[in-house]
Amino acid sequence: MIEVKDLTKLYGTLTAVSELSFGVAAGEVLGLVGPNGAGKTTTLRSIAGIIRPTRGQIVIGGHDLQRQPVAAKALLAFMPDEPRLFDYLTVEEHLRFVGRLYGVADVDTRAPALLQELELVDKAKTLPGELSRGMKQKLTIACGLLHEPKALLFDEPLTGLDPVGIRRMKQTIVERARRGAAVLLSSHLLHLVEEICTRVLIIQRGRKVAHGSIAEILAGRPDLQGRSLEEVFLALTGAET
Amino acid sequence: MITAALYLSRRSLVNATWRRLRRLREPKYLVGFVVGLLYFWWFLYRPRGTRPAPAFAAALVDQLVPLGALALAVLLLVGWIAGSSETPFSFSLAETQFLFTAPLTRRQVIAFKVLRSQTSLLLSAILSVLLFSGFHFTASRLMRMGGLWLVYATLQLNFAAAAFARANLTDHGLTGWRRRAGLVLGAAVVVGLGWWGVRQALPGIAAAFSDDPAQGAAALGGALRGGVLGVLLWPLRALLGPLFAATPAAFVAALPAALLVLAAHYVWVVSSALSFEEVAAEAAEKTARRIDAMRRGRGLETPLPSRVRRPALLRLAPTGPPARAILWKNLTGLARTNRPRTLVFLAIFAVAVAGSLGSRAFTPLDWLATFALIFGGYAMVFGPFIVRFDLRRDLELVDVLKSAPVRGRDVVAGEILSPVVAVTAFVWAFALIAYAATLPRVTGLPPLGPRTAILVAALAAVPAFCGLLVTYQNAVVLLFPAWAAIGPDRATGVEALGQRILVMVGGWLALLVGLLPGAVVAAVVAGLLQVAGVPLVWGVAAGVVGGVVTVGCAIAFAVTWLGRVFDRLDPAAAGLS
Repeated sequence: MIEVKDLTKLYGTLTAVSELSFGVAAGEVLGLVGPNGAGKTTTLRSIAGIIRPTRGQIVIGGHDLQRQPVAAKALLAFMPDEPRLFDYLTVEEHLRFVGRLYGVADVDTRAPALLQELELVDKAKTLPGELSRGMKQKLTIACGLLHEPKALLFDEPLTGLDPVGIRRMKQTIVERARRGAAVLLSSHLLHLVEEICTRVLIIQRGRKVAHGSIAEILAGRPDLQGRSLEEVFLALTGAET
Repeated sequence: MITAALYLSRRSLVNATWRRLRRLREPKYLVGFVVGLLYFWWFLYRPRGTRPAPAFAAALVDQLVPLGALALAVLLLVGWIAGSSETPFSFSLAETQFLFTAPLTRRQVIAFKVLRSQTSLLLSAILSVLLFSGFHFTASRLMRMGGLWLVYATLQLNFAAAAFARANLTDHGLTGWRRRAGLVLGAAVVVGLGWWGVRQALPGIAAAFSDDPAQGAAALGGALRGGVLGVLLWPLRALLGPLFAATPAAFVAALPAALLVLAAHYVWVVSSALSFEEVAAEAAEKTARRIDAMRRGRGLETPLPSRVRRPALLRLAPTGPPARAILWKNLTGLARTNRPRTLVFLAIFAVAVAGSLGSRAFTPLDWLATFALIFGGYAMVFGPFIVRFDLRRDLELVDVLKSAPVRGRDVVAGEILSPVVAVTAFVWAFALIAYAATLPRVTGLPPLGPRTAILVAALAAVPAFCGLLVTYQNAVVLLFPAWAAIGPDRATGVEALGQRILVMVGGWLALLVGLLPGAVVAAVVAGLLQVAGVPLVWGVAAGVVGGVVTVGCAIAFAVTWLGRVFDRLDPAAAGLS
């Protein structure tokens, strides 16, 4: 569903992402991890069509993101780490507006169900200024899920959520993957990645360090057998002292 | 505490200056800096006519201290009565976080804030004097700077004391009008005492003014120096002494009394040990939100609070062109962030003034038409700059817009349409009011038919005019995001001023260039129609409509091009996110 080939992003002389290639199949949850400044957010924003890669190709559901951006983006949903909302639209109006952009004809049916699922029903008429950080995050997720995307991009999805919200968010992500969506999830919370991701992509300084299921990664590094993902991550990124 | 305050002030100043200087390595800031400097040079050194001061003004110079003391007294009374702040100083969010949690006593926090604010007060005093003196440094200017700093510092402390007094009254259960009534009563006692002291001198002052204004000013000055009023105003006269000292010797002589007043205020404020942290923290958050809104180019618009929950003007259909959805979103935002009561008050005021000014020659309806034309003209010229519900605002959320399956052309079209629709609606309303108000008039204006033709031409021209201005500003935002007011890091300083001057001049040039093809088409159409025997005014109206269509085509072409720019825009490279 998501195919990334030789993705490179340069900012002047700075290489944010370098020749990164990977894929996310339908029903798969890929965890994107790496130290600060590794290029995780740049990778996600490139796949979301927000920034243009310097080189490389991104294909979403068979649509080249550069050549058919509208068709490719129609299959995508990007949930950034920081909720970005229009401060003069209510929760309900956000869903209506996003539904119109994505051509969701049955928004009147889907929106209430999503509000119910994300426990935002009693906030439907509320402006973002009145919402807590976690509520804003939920609204961003609701907007992303409204058009039933085939590819989901999450950047630190648990930030600002309470324990109940964290549990529900994990369920939502797993449930979407079970229904056939490809999920790419970037997070520093390695226990989250370990818990819900089927495979892991570790990057550092814009380059791929390891890619595969945890078992596959450990198979390539017998010295790390039996260690947790956190220990594997520290060892692979050279952060272990 | 003193060293900490001095360290913070010194490092903040040094770091801010270095940051500005380093920024000049970028051409866009360097060009802006040069233009900004040229503007200041013109502002300060442009040729000014030198006219001798009138005799009355010369006489007033001698009475500056007592008259200034009276003015200060009025200012302080208003501040005590009308002020509402219960926090003695404006704290930044960082200050509330670090100072209020540090192991400092309340008095130490106040002392820190007082010392910290002296840098900005001194800079304000220096700039105020330099601006009025054409940037000439002389001994007398240095005295003025010192004197003005004393005044600023004392006023700041006085207002802080007023805030403490309000907080104290609140602590004792006196809030709202009851608190204000108490302050009014106190002020009335002070004013009554002053009046009682000066009442006997008033006939003499009035007589002196009727004889010679200079003598009147001298008599008034004498009254303000003597009696009860003289005693009441002494601290303020002492404070103003160094500022208006004519010689260095007079400055030195006046300094001890002024410093005494300042020291007394300092002791007064620092010895106040009332709790203010909670109110100060709330005020800091409000101020931060307001500054953030201003930096994001929303002017003095109040950040959207919870109370704004008006329903959307129109319901958005689930399907249809995405540009219309963006238009809907922006118009909803515009309706929610502006209060219609301002317009209602304006309308009532205009009708009332028109009614009172009306005469047989120029009736109230004529006045109403005049006001409508003035307001309409103002809305047309400044509306596209004021109504910023387009990319100037939405580029902050560029990630949301760019990740949506919408072509850049549709995004730009929807964004540009929003201010154009809003401003056009306003201007049309004013134009129609003016037209309707002039319907009864049969003399002094063209006949009704040509008048209608002019109205049609004007109505057609408005969206084209607004469209050009709004398109230009959105083009600047897309092509030179660092020059436009987007996001939280809006540039300030001389270089930013220069950039804004360039953008504004560019806007008017773009308007001229954009209108040119339309003007040519309008002239050709009007000429051809006149040859064909169509009356001139109708020919011109048809020409204007033709010109508007031409300008509309140019705008459509620009929107398509800007759409491609939007598609190619890299928010990270452009410094947007």
